[in-house]
Amino acid sequence: MAAIYSLFDALLPLTSPGHYIQWHWIQISVANLIVIILMIATFIAALVVPFPGRRRRRGGDE
Amino acid sequence: MAKKFRPDVDAPEYKGRYYPYDIIKEGTIALVVVSLLVVGLAILFGSPDDPAVTLKEWSTAQPVDFATTALSELNGTSGVAGYGPPYNSASDGQKIGPFPVAKWVGVHIPVDTAQDFVLMPLTTLPDVPALTTGLRVWSAASETQKTAWLDAYAKGTMSFANGKITDTATGAGPVPLFMTELTSMARTGALDADLIAGHGYYTTDYTKPLLFLSDGQWFPSIAANDHLSGDQWGMMNELGNYPGQAWLWLYTMWYQVPPYSTSWAANADAMVWATMMVLTVLLALLPFIPGVRSIPRWTRVYRLIWREHYRATAQEGGASPSREGPPSTPTA
Repeated sequence: MAAIYSLFDALLPLTSPGHYIQWHWIQISVANLIVIILMIATFIAALVVPFPGRRRRRGGDE
Repeated sequence: MAKKFRPDVDAPEYKGRYYPYDIIKEGTIALVVVSLLVVGLAILFGSPDDPAVTLKEWSTAQPVDFATTALSELNGTSGVAGYGPPYNSASDGQKIGPFPVAKWVGVHIPVDTAQDFVLMPLTTLPDVPALTTGLRVWSAASETQKTAWLDAYAKGTMSFANGKITDTATGAGPVPLFMTELTSMARTGALDADLIAGHGYYTTDYTKPLLFLSDGQWFPSIAANDHLSGDQWGMMNELGNYPGQAWLWLYTMWYQVPPYSTSWAANADAMVWATMMVLTVLLALLPFIPGVRSIPRWTRVYRLIWREHYRATAQEGGASPSREGPPSTPTA
């Protein structure tokens, strides 16, 4: 397990000092910004990606 | 006369097609996928695991800061000593405008900084006759005498040498001994144990050591280094590069902007709480607020989600645009 932690810590150094973005009075960590961008991307994907099984329904399954 | 259709309140009768929909299947898939993601990511990345900060660490790293803070706890000038409710009655505590809400709730976590952080722990030290005598002298002294000793000690210059706190002050009675012994006690770890004792064998109540730590300079500097202070959006941050509580952005944002950060700063906790309660009530009442409740209809995002339905309806020459809305929930 320690080896796995070391491997992923090398890929994503989560325990090293945090990186922050400052713009006027707004301050946000890069990690939080990535999570927020992923949430927005998921929301947009939920809006525009077709529902699974839509084609099957279109074929007269209703 | 027919009642006028109100688009934000009335639901139009659904005349479209119905589709089969297995909500149990979708719920189960979502649960399994999210569970696998949570467990998998936890195994791969773990979580921040910094050891808890202790009084022993503090008094070892910065003994003078520790002893200076201990003096402020003894003479009642520390932040906690003057905070007011819920710890003591030294002030009215947090207010919302003219309303002393903390005072109304009362002192329900009583903390006497002089007794709890300095004098009581010193009484637990065994085999220090001079200290026992000093505590007896202190206990028998008048308040005027105690104040005179404390003032005299504060006028001196504190330093740390040969493992002990020393001070250039004269005429400070037993106060120099208290500071020296308390710092030595803290450096052994005994003060940590003493301040969390009395809460059962397995305790999670670290209120007293945490309050003591918060009054010094060392602990806030550690928090500031990790971007965890209130004026650094600390509420939504996490240690290192781990993502934190991003959903608390609105709560912590108020602390960064005037007047919460300026004229309301002394009561910012209560004012931010009150602001968030007002916003929460507004959110709960959203369906009843004219204009705001119409935003989904104006933005027409629902037409994007249900675009296939509206395309099919348009092809069949269906619903009137003025009465259209999202289709009814499909039957399972």
